[in-house]
Amino acid sequence: MQIYLPIAELPVSILTILAMGAAVGFLSGMFGIGGGFLMTPLLIFLGIPPAVAVGTQATQIVASSVTGALAHFARKSIDFKMGTVLLAGGVVGSFTGIYIFKLLTAIGQIDLAISVVYVGFLSVIGAMMMVESVQAIRAARGGAVSTRRGGHHSWIHGLPFKVRFRRSKLYISVIPPVLVGFFVGVLSAIMGVGGGFILIPAMIYLLRMPTNVVIGTSFFQIVFVAAVTGILHSVENQAVDIVLGFLLVIGGVIGAQYGVRMAEKMPAEQLRALLAAILLFIGLRLGYDLVVTPDDLYSVIETQVTR
Amino acid sequence: MKQVICAIAVLACIMLPAAVRADVLVTDLSEHQIAIRSNFTGTQILLFGAVEARTPGSRAADRYIVVVVQGPVQPMTVRKKERVAGLWINHDSVTYPAVPGYYAIASTRPLEVTAEPEVLKALRIGIENINPGIPVARSIEGAAQNLQPEAENAFWKALIRNQRRDGLYINLPGGVTFLGQTLFRATVDIPANVPVGLYTAKVYLLQNGEIVDTISSPLYIDKRGVEREIYRMAHEDPFLYGLIAVLVAAFAGWLASAVMNRR
Repeated sequence: MQIYLPIAELPVSILTILAMGAAVGFLSGMFGIGGGFLMTPLLIFLGIPPAVAVGTQATQIVASSVTGALAHFARKSIDFKMGTVLLAGGVVGSFTGIYIFKLLTAIGQIDLAISVVYVGFLSVIGAMMMVESVQAIRAARGGAVSTRRGGHHSWIHGLPFKVRFRRSKLYISVIPPVLVGFFVGVLSAIMGVGGGFILIPAMIYLLRMPTNVVIGTSFFQIVFVAAVTGILHSVENQAVDIVLGFLLVIGGVIGAQYGVRMAEKMPAEQLRALLAAILLFIGLRLGYDLVVTPDDLYSVIETQVTR
Repeated sequence: MKQVICAIAVLACIMLPAAVRADVLVTDLSEHQIAIRSNFTGTQILLFGAVEARTPGSRAADRYIVVVVQGPVQPMTVRKKERVAGLWINHDSVTYPAVPGYYAIASTRPLEVTAEPEVLKALRIGIENINPGIPVARSIEGAAQNLQPEAENAFWKALIRNQRRDGLYINLPGGVTFLGQTLFRATVDIPANVPVGLYTAKVYLLQNGEIVDTISSPLYIDKRGVEREIYRMAHEDPFLYGLIAVLVAAFAGWLASAVMNRR
């Protein structure tokens, strides 16, 4: 069954979209990730214009991160103060990202930029996770567990504007979290992702927050940054397709339920290795498209009339 | 004096023998409005008509019918990719100010047989004879540049190729069929990705390589119902639209967690 998308201006199969939403929802439930980095390339592969894919994806991220944030709120594992500081940077980052997005669209390089950023992040993070999880699997088999967390907290502690974050048991400058939030906000607006895959490692390794509050706080920040990104994409590019978003959310919600159950049955290291493999695969796939000679060197777009 | 000349002219017209009067067309479209609703996956329009023979002895075999359905024009940019440091990136571009978003041509016989190329070109009949206005070529930095005519032509050819691939430019030699001596019909595909707006369906009657009669009928393609409301709101009040989209999503997220907790 086909449905005509009013903003993307093309018909899509309802079942395909629901299935994609469910598949990404399944993975996001399984790995505890937003899934934006999977969904945006999938939508673009399907022929949805990049701007609509990124803009619509923001609404899907709001839905999944609200679910996540509520679960962590119930467990009291959100550092609201840290979340708000990250959020402040995130909102400014989102505005900046939208501006960059518009600029790149105008000069015709947005597709390239999205692909390059994806290839870079997915392959680097995928490779790092793969190495780390393979080591963890080996260590678990060999019995020799050596999880070191490097202990240099030098320059971050020298920065001004120090604030006490009680929930995270930290007394650090607000500059690093604001910068981290800003960076993730920019990525969220350009890539159509929540940015959890950057935010979580940054919170653990850079800000040294305790792991039990990291995921909840990240969800809290992503809810609001994705909401701002969604509204901005609507205002600036009229690129949010509410029908597409709705279908993705329905598929995602259903898929996530099964993903969570699946995750309970699989060991964490193998889960991470699997996620790393998926990240690497998508990264390589997008990278391949950048390098291989396209079928048609020419492409046509309707020229945006600047108002 | 003037009136006298006019009167003579009018008289002359009336008194002209019937044999000199040309055949005329009578045509209509199956639909003058196409509504894009949520179940829209493309459609077809049927164009039909008759030739009223006013010249004794003229037969269908001597007449050629050409049907052109053209969509609204809009500026379009063609970009050419080039390999830079191993990556294929958009490099030079050419912008055409007035490109029809849709162009279908159907005829009783191939166009080459129907009329001389100059006639077709002058009347802008045929995909190759579309006039997209004066192109502006730009380099990757966005600065205007001059392109050789053949280089520019490659961009134009690419645009046509692209539109054909998307089913938006259609060429149907033999797409108009005569039913008997006077009746003719043509069906034209309207794909799902058509731009909305005012279309014109023009029918040309050619005899001996010349245009004898032309009829033009309008065709509106527009979004209707929910599709129209969503599109209108997204463009007229994008802030409210975005806010609603985000709130609906947030509600869905809350609903999901409420359902999960109940289990």
